[in-house]
Amino acid sequence: MSEKPSQRPGERLFSVVLVGFSLAALWQAYSISGFSGLSTPGIFPMLATATMVLSALVILRRAFVQPGSGETAGQTIRRFFREIVPPRHVTVVALIAAYLAVMPWLGFLAASAVFLFITTKLLWRRSLLATLILTAGTTAAIYVVFRIVFQVVLPQGTLLRGLF
Amino acid sequence: MAEVFAQLSLSWFDPWLLFLTGAGTLAGIYVGAIPGLSVTMAVSILISFTFKWEVNDALALIAGIFVGGVYGGSRTAILLNIPGAPSAIASALDGYPMAKRGEAGEAIGLTTVMSVFGGLIGILALALFAPAISSFAIQFQSRDYLLLGLIGILLVGTLSGESFAKGAFAGALGVLIGMVGLDPMTAEGRFTFGSINLMGGIHYVVAMIGFFGVAEALVQLHTLDLPAIKQKIDRIVPRLSDIKRYFSLALRASGIGTVIGALPGTGGDIAALLAYDHARRSTKNPDPPFGEGNKEGLVAPEAANNAAVGGAFVPMLTLGIPGDAVTAVIIGALFIHGLKPGPLLLTDTPHLFWFTVGNLTLANVFLLIFGLTGIRIFTKVVECPKGVLIPLIIVLSAVGAYAIQNNPVDIVWMLAFGVVGYFLKIYGFQVGPVILGVILGPMMDANFRRAMIGARGDPLVFAWDFVSHPISLVLTIAFFAMLISQTPLWARITRRGRTPV
Repeated sequence: MSEKPSQRPGERLFSVVLVGFSLAALWQAYSISGFSGLSTPGIFPMLATATMVLSALVILRRAFVQPGSGETAGQTIRRFFREIVPPRHVTVVALIAAYLAVMPWLGFLAASAVFLFITTKLLWRRSLLATLILTAGTTAAIYVVFRIVFQVVLPQGTLLRGLF
Repeated sequence: MAEVFAQLSLSWFDPWLLFLTGAGTLAGIYVGAIPGLSVTMAVSILISFTFKWEVNDALALIAGIFVGGVYGGSRTAILLNIPGAPSAIASALDGYPMAKRGEAGEAIGLTTVMSVFGGLIGILALALFAPAISSFAIQFQSRDYLLLGLIGILLVGTLSGESFAKGAFAGALGVLIGMVGLDPMTAEGRFTFGSINLMGGIHYVVAMIGFFGVAEALVQLHTLDLPAIKQKIDRIVPRLSDIKRYFSLALRASGIGTVIGALPGTGGDIAALLAYDHARRSTKNPDPPFGEGNKEGLVAPEAANNAAVGGAFVPMLTLGIPGDAVTAVIIGALFIHGLKPGPLLLTDTPHLFWFTVGNLTLANVFLLIFGLTGIRIFTKVVECPKGVLIPLIIVLSAVGAYAIQNNPVDIVWMLAFGVVGYFLKIYGFQVGPVILGVILGPMMDANFRRAMIGARGDPLVFAWDFVSHPISLVLTIAFFAMLISQTPLWARITRRGRTPV
């Protein structure tokens, strides 16, 4: 339960963001019903967000009291993009965002197949054919398991309505 | 009595329930074993598909996955030195050295038998103690539930995280997420920003899938290229002499596991570590030494973490307080089927309680069968590369998030929670308390206001109620003791006590 001695890159910035977010949330909670009564809908949210503010301040204090890594700002930024948000993570999150964006248009099955193919190719690094076979197999399995066995309604696309 | 027996044996004789329990247990073993998949993740996603099912069917499947999953974690701990679940961390300490000596099969066999033994002890405790605790808990008032919720979040937050502040932040963040939407008492909007999409609130299953599914997948991207290690598997069925020899240790470890599992906030991981510690202290002249493939070091944590399953069901079913992340997810599953875990569950729906007891027992029988067979196929499946697994987890998470309310906005929430959860995990926060907060937040809010209304809005009467009733007083003391033990003041006091003058 002891703090790790070394700073993770971006830890200080993250704790500042937490404090800012908690303060904004506390303000929002206050605006629900203010201090008009002790059993109003806003009281418990205020207690929760006040806890967030307090704990975020403790986290912030620790992040700044802890000895820094002794790096320059440039080195820290480089380490942040190497250890915390490496290009692989950025790419995968961008792919998920794109997957969600095209889903209303392509429909769940087609969008999933494309997403699975691109992401698997990127992460698995095998031949195109192997990736293609794997994608086709998994998409078919997902369709059978969820649409046929579990009877889940999957999002349909506007492009190929009725087909997928 | 006849009614109880009928419910106990329901899943044993109904072919469909038998199948679901078996399939759940088998799937659970794989889910628990494959690094990158977890029981919390699987159950989170599964809830969104099974909520239209009959209650019994869904419970059978989920119980199977839970029991199988807790056991499954030990398989990869032994074979690859990668615990598939936190409760298997202790099993890797001696399990992996055994595998390196070429005794992987023996280790798995012994683990299976002892897991089933521990599991059955845990269930026995559930059947014996839950009704008693439940009839006691009926006397609980609103403020007691508020305290129980706070204690639950506090325990999960403090025991699992890097620091108390981080645990408290995570729990409060969860409560905040749980508050979004129209207030159930006054229909006033809270954190809705006038958006229709937010008025219905954020479904806790979506939060679960985001925090456990997507966030975990993103964390796993860091260890994409970990090489797989292959082990030789020979004799699997353990020797009778071994079982006889370790029986007494397994019994003690099961006792530890049941009690630890039953405490809100502590689960199989802590149970296993404590049992391991007990084995180390109680074994004289260990041969080979602990940490080098000692069988006692494998038997104790495995019996304990499976016993903790039955133990964990006790506070979950009788008080409505989940002990850890896995039980938090299962409580979510019970809620979605219209069940209200708490003291009234045993009075209102006793059949479901006895069904669960019978079903957990059945899952353990399946565990024995599947645990001792099919290990060669298993080793092939576990080697499934993460590059294939991660995209699949994301697609399954998307299906799950959508299926819960057929709302595309939920998938966007899932991604947002996934990214937030990733940063929280990377910076040393636990996501378990967040989920507990989301689930328990609305319950705590309602009970806080009920208690306040009961005190006619007078804060002094409200505070007095917490110390003037025996049950509330005990819970209040427990809550503050936990709180104070986490402050720097307490650390200073204990340090002073230890420093020689």
